[in-house]
Amino acid sequence: MSSNIVGDALGAARSARRTGRRRTKLSRRGKKEAFYFWLFISPWLIGFVGFLLGPMIASVYISLTEWDSFTEPQFVGLANYTQALTEDPIFWKVLGNTFFYALISVPLSLVIGVWLANLLNKRVRGRKIFRTLIYLPTLVPLVATAMVFKMILAPSGPLNDLLGWFGIQGPQWLLDPNWIKPALIVLSMWGAGAATVLLLSAMNGIPRELYEAAEIDGASSWRQFWAVTFPQITPIIFFNLIMGLIGAFQIFSQVYILAPGGNVGGPDNASQMMVTLLFDQAFSFYHFGYASAIAWLLFVIIMLFTLIAFRTARKWVFYESEVR
Amino acid sequence: MAEKIRRHARAGIALIAVIGMAALTTACLSGGEEDDGTLKMVVWGGDLEKETYQERIDLLEAEHPDIKVDLQLIPSEQYEQKVQTMIAGGDGPDIMQVAEGVNVYSSKSQILPLDEYVSEAGLDLEERFGPAVGELYSYEDQVYAIPDRSGAIITYYNKDIFDAAGVEYPTAEWTWEDAQSAMEKTTSPEDGQWGYTGAGWWAQWWSFVYQNGGQIVGDDGKPAVNSPEAVEAVQWANDLVHENHYAPTAAEYADMGPDMGGDPLFASGAVALNTTGFWGIGTLQEADFNWGIAPLWGGDQQAATGFGSGLSISRDSANPDKAFEAIDFLTDVEGQEVIIDKAMDVPANIQVQQSEAFLKPEWAPEGLNMGAFAESSDFIYQAPFIPQWNEMQSTINDGLETFWSEGGDAQTELDEIQSQLETVVE
Repeated sequence: MSSNIVGDALGAARSARRTGRRRTKLSRRGKKEAFYFWLFISPWLIGFVGFLLGPMIASVYISLTEWDSFTEPQFVGLANYTQALTEDPIFWKVLGNTFFYALISVPLSLVIGVWLANLLNKRVRGRKIFRTLIYLPTLVPLVATAMVFKMILAPSGPLNDLLGWFGIQGPQWLLDPNWIKPALIVLSMWGAGAATVLLLSAMNGIPRELYEAAEIDGASSWRQFWAVTFPQITPIIFFNLIMGLIGAFQIFSQVYILAPGGNVGGPDNASQMMVTLLFDQAFSFYHFGYASAIAWLLFVIIMLFTLIAFRTARKWVFYESEVR
Repeated sequence: MAEKIRRHARAGIALIAVIGMAALTTACLSGGEEDDGTLKMVVWGGDLEKETYQERIDLLEAEHPDIKVDLQLIPSEQYEQKVQTMIAGGDGPDIMQVAEGVNVYSSKSQILPLDEYVSEAGLDLEERFGPAVGELYSYEDQVYAIPDRSGAIITYYNKDIFDAAGVEYPTAEWTWEDAQSAMEKTTSPEDGQWGYTGAGWWAQWWSFVYQNGGQIVGDDGKPAVNSPEAVEAVQWANDLVHENHYAPTAAEYADMGPDMGGDPLFASGAVALNTTGFWGIGTLQEADFNWGIAPLWGGDQQAATGFGSGLSISRDSANPDKAFEAIDFLTDVEGQEVIIDKAMDVPANIQVQQSEAFLKPEWAPEGLNMGAFAESSDFIYQAPFIPQWNEMQSTINDGLETFWSEGGDAQTELDEIQSQLETVVE
């Protein structure tokens, strides 16, 4: 969408330049328009330059220094990066934790989202109530959700009771280094409703006649889903994939609230994530340089995954209006 | 046209710059306004703290008409970040509350050494605060903060449970064996009654380490958590839960509710012994059982963690003399009595701790042994307030979490932590 607008705008500018005379005629209006453009965009620009671009550029420099935020930063070159990659005893573990979380929670919540959306798309009684119920968890503040999950995930809590009915001895979830990450993933599933709503609206937008045609051809409902529904909603799945990946790599609040005893690292650093590590390093340990280096390493990782997603998108994302 | 657009762009940028400058100047002006001699004081806490500090400041301003203090209360969990931002922005407060993290600031010269002010005012720290607390906030032989609040960890006991089990009430003379045998006799799993709340919190098990002659960081500044004395103490503390099961395990606590811990469990009347700070009294105001307090028991020697805070002066203060005058008043008898009248905390001033006002406060239940705090003052050990305090705590917590929740071998765990701490503590 957005790239189209930019493309149009650039095209307009180009054609305008070619027909120079017409533009001089419009110059008064153009002037006014340009003035309002700058006026109305300036709040955003000031915010972007002052609060985002400035700090980002500054953090590149800070990542090359050792800085405690009080005294003058000391330039140390790439030492922070080599420290993270070769010396820090927990950096790789934290990176592994973050990957584990992102690479399981994102696909899983997409699968659940598509599944829920498909169910809600069926013509059943009380469909509207179900739709509301599915989206409702997304509206509950995260802190409240996390408190509820602390109870649900208690060693003798409801979830383990449920597992007990099937003869499964439930783990201690938040207290167990092996199970705290799966517990966080379970919590992330709670928010699958947000993706569901988007996917559902995409499904509603699929022309009926495609299904009718498929039915006449004798396609089963399974076949209809894979041959009609799925290709049509791939753009939305793609959108959710990208946003989900970025969000998952930046997981912070959930860990901060759920980790037992307020100890973010969790048992044996099993729940320490990139952003919580970064936060501790900067605001608790006063290693701003190191924290900035971690931030940039995380940026590179997210960039890499987003690029991979975009590269492979050509193979599986289907745009109806697109001509190849 | 392109030229015009460029000119407009430039005008736009100029506009932005002007707005930006305007914002900056107002920021500077509002920053400068405070320079009428008003002292900015930052403390952490909630409503009770706000009320108490403000009342103390009112007393100060009445006594010293030339001093005006602007009190800023910051929620505890944001305090360090906020103060860090203030100082980094060159707008540090005049008076700031500090505690275990004091040497983050002192080691980087962000707060002023106070020795000169102390001697000029003729203040005897040892006399005012006792030998253990007087110079608690020192770094490289210089004093950086004047103690303001200082309560040791003490023992809370449920008299009803002790009476029913026929066990003598705890005293400062108790040894580990006495404590353990009392826990043994008061634990009764079938009644859901526990002997102890557990000792997995640093303030608790560190006390035992120091009682046993161990240290967390040695006198040479090197970590010493895996010394035989420390290992023995930590193993004892852990066995109370996992070998003897006098206290609930982490899993059992988690089953009791999301915010359950030792203090609320003791307040519910289900435990015989709890070890915590002054605030425990607040949670017990509405308890429907009889309870008492005593100084913490001892091991080879007496040792108890101190929960306190001091007042320091930041390097940005324009009026360090006035700031010190204020601190001097706030930590003197008159300025300290409010702390106990409001039942907020233990005042650091020894004279106040031994006064009628402290020993028999209006709000305390009949016969409560408030003298336990003054008695404990002498036991407070010098905890290692190293500049890397937060990092050290985090390393220890991450490393020991599984040990506290599941039990295990203290030697193995502490050896591992020792090697990690060696990279943290320089």
